[in-house]
Amino acid sequence: MRGRPNLYINYKKETAILSTNTQKIWFVFMIVFSIAMVFIATDYWILLLTTAFLIAVASWGLNIVSGFAGQISLAHGVFVGIGTYTGAVLGGVATDYVVGYELDMIIWLPLSGLFASLLGLLIAPIAVRLKGLNLGLVTLALVFIGSHLFSNLKTFTGGAGLGRKTAKVVLFGFQFDDGFNIGNVILEKNQLLYLFSLLVCILCGLGVKNITRSKTGRAYSAIRDRDIAAEAIGINLFKFKSSAFALSSFYAGIAGSLLFTVSGGVEPGTFNLLYSITFVAIVIIGGVGTVLGPLFGALFFSLLPGTIQTVIHSLENFGQGFALSSGQIERVIFGLFIIIFLIFEPRGLWGIWFRLRNYFKAWPFSY
Amino acid sequence: MNNLVFENVSLKFGGITAINNVSFEVIPGRLFAIIGPNGAGKTSIFNCISGIYRPTEGQIKFGDNHLNLLRPDEIANLGIARTFQNIELFENMTVLDNILIGAHRHLDYGPISSLIFSKKVRNIEVEARKRAEDIIDFLEIEQFRYSYIMSLPYGVQKRVELGRALAMDPEILLLDEPAAGMNNEETEDIARFIIDIHEEMKKTIILVDHDMNMVMDIAQEVMVLNFGEKLAQDEPKKIVTNEKVINAYLGGGS
Ligand SMILES: Nc1ncnc2c1ncn2[C@@H]1O[C@H](COP(=O)(O)OP(=O)(O)O)[C@@H](O)[C@H]1O
Ligand SMILES: [Mg+2]
Repeated sequence: MRGRPNLYINYKKETAILSTNTQKIWFVFMIVFSIAMVFIATDYWILLLTTAFLIAVASWGLNIVSGFAGQISLAHGVFVGIGTYTGAVLGGVATDYVVGYELDMIIWLPLSGLFASLLGLLIAPIAVRLKGLNLGLVTLALVFIGSHLFSNLKTFTGGAGLGRKTAKVVLFGFQFDDGFNIGNVILEKNQLLYLFSLLVCILCGLGVKNITRSKTGRAYSAIRDRDIAAEAIGINLFKFKSSAFALSSFYAGIAGSLLFTVSGGVEPGTFNLLYSITFVAIVIIGGVGTVLGPLFGALFFSLLPGTIQTVIHSLENFGQGFALSSGQIERVIFGLFIIIFLIFEPRGLWGIWFRLRNYFKAWPFSY
Repeated sequence: MNNLVFENVSLKFGGITAINNVSFEVIPGRLFAIIGPNGAGKTSIFNCISGIYRPTEGQIKFGDNHLNLLRPDEIANLGIARTFQNIELFENMTVLDNILIGAHRHLDYGPISSLIFSKKVRNIEVEARKRAEDIIDFLEIEQFRYSYIMSLPYGVQKRVELGRALAMDPEILLLDEPAAGMNNEETEDIARFIIDIHEEMKKTIILVDHDMNMVMDIAQEVMVLNFGEKLAQDEPKKIVTNEKVINAYLGGGS
């Protein structure tokens, strides 16, 4: 054998989640900062951020199947809904109209994910036969089936227009409703939910990162880029498309089961086509196929209303009236961003962040 | 170690007969070449082996396995690796990931372990990386390790695709025109790699080419195809003096 002076052996670090010290510092800083927010932010912003964390989890799910594995799904919102109702049935309180078993969150949270992923598995055989837009159309049909079922399975969902209460948040017997005392500080339910959602968000985010640095993530990318070559390497398309749909729906289910516990109630009409499309938009705006993109997209989407409200309020104080309501402005801005990103920045907010980061890395020698 | 056997294989596309009643056998350890002009059916033979096309008639066997009955991924998992005439790399992945993914079938863990990335997964990944680095070193593509495929010159892409096939650690390697579109120096490099893979890594190789020069230098056995039919099969020295071959192919003055 030849001598091997060029053989590279210092790669152990590269397989780590956070490969540089800068990344580690940022990671810890962001977590500390997010925890600190619970004491600083107003209830309104706590609500928006909690939603953002959970929307991020759901969006990561869509990104797994569409961004990583390249399988279009327009029905992601349906799986969020399945998670919501699984959680509500298992963890909610029974009334004259709806069932509820008041189980502990340690049971209903994982089961919401698992049940959604089980139903996600059912799409996989279709995804093996159909590609691209055809698959998109089938998943579109799923949205309508889902909407119909949600509206009509009244014992589970309360039915259209009425809805039902969501799961009670009780973890190992501890009721979030009761609040939690640390010293003389009381953490209310919404603050506890915020912290719990933050934890779920971090764990799910790490899961996504893990997928990308594993065999599974590589197989997804391979299927997305060239499915025939992927098969010729020994990748079982059925198995990996199935697992992509299952994982994706698992994330959706987990997010869904928690998402509406914030407000405490949910109406079946929520899970319409627009709801599913919103997740597509979030992933596009955040950055398709990236790890952090869906988080950025979810933060953007969830914090936008708050930002607009704040701007409108401060402008109104200067005597400026507005022709559009804040909801309308929100939708216009959101729509514009989708178009702008599709055309100019396919890697979304993540792409912008990536370039900024590289710019500052080289600073002050950046030109 | 398995023999690869074609028994009276035909492949038709509507009116076109891409392969016409072809039989041959590749014994383990061989460097077996298939040559013939463009459109002779060489790539179709590879596509039949790897399960992308189904023969219209005949049997393809690898040891006791009937390849006609298996899916492409099942065939790959028997230890049959290939490269493509028109490079089929994964564009949105780095060179390193393209090579790592070749090792897919040897990495024994599933999607849920991926999510959790246990110590076992970590060890498997580090081990896979070690083998990938061996291949990167062997093919002399160190400086492209983190490059995306699209940004690479054609010759390097060809090497990466060879690397991906090697990472499968196959029993038999199918190379479809590995030197096509390359200059002399690049062709010599590829020839050297193929000889090393054959002699040092002890792989069985089927090499497809429409250009005879490299094949005649390195192959142990050559099969000649023309219009989907097998004209001859022999050792290189005898092929160049075979009359049928001279008439149909060499005489054509290519
Ligand atoms: N998918 C296909 N559909 C129709 N005809 C095909 C297809 N693949 C190959 N052929 C035809 O089969 C013949 C052999 O092609 P091929 O195997 O690619 O030849 P070679 O690799 O020797 O150049 C050609 O006439 C080609 O046009
Ligand atoms: Mg060919």
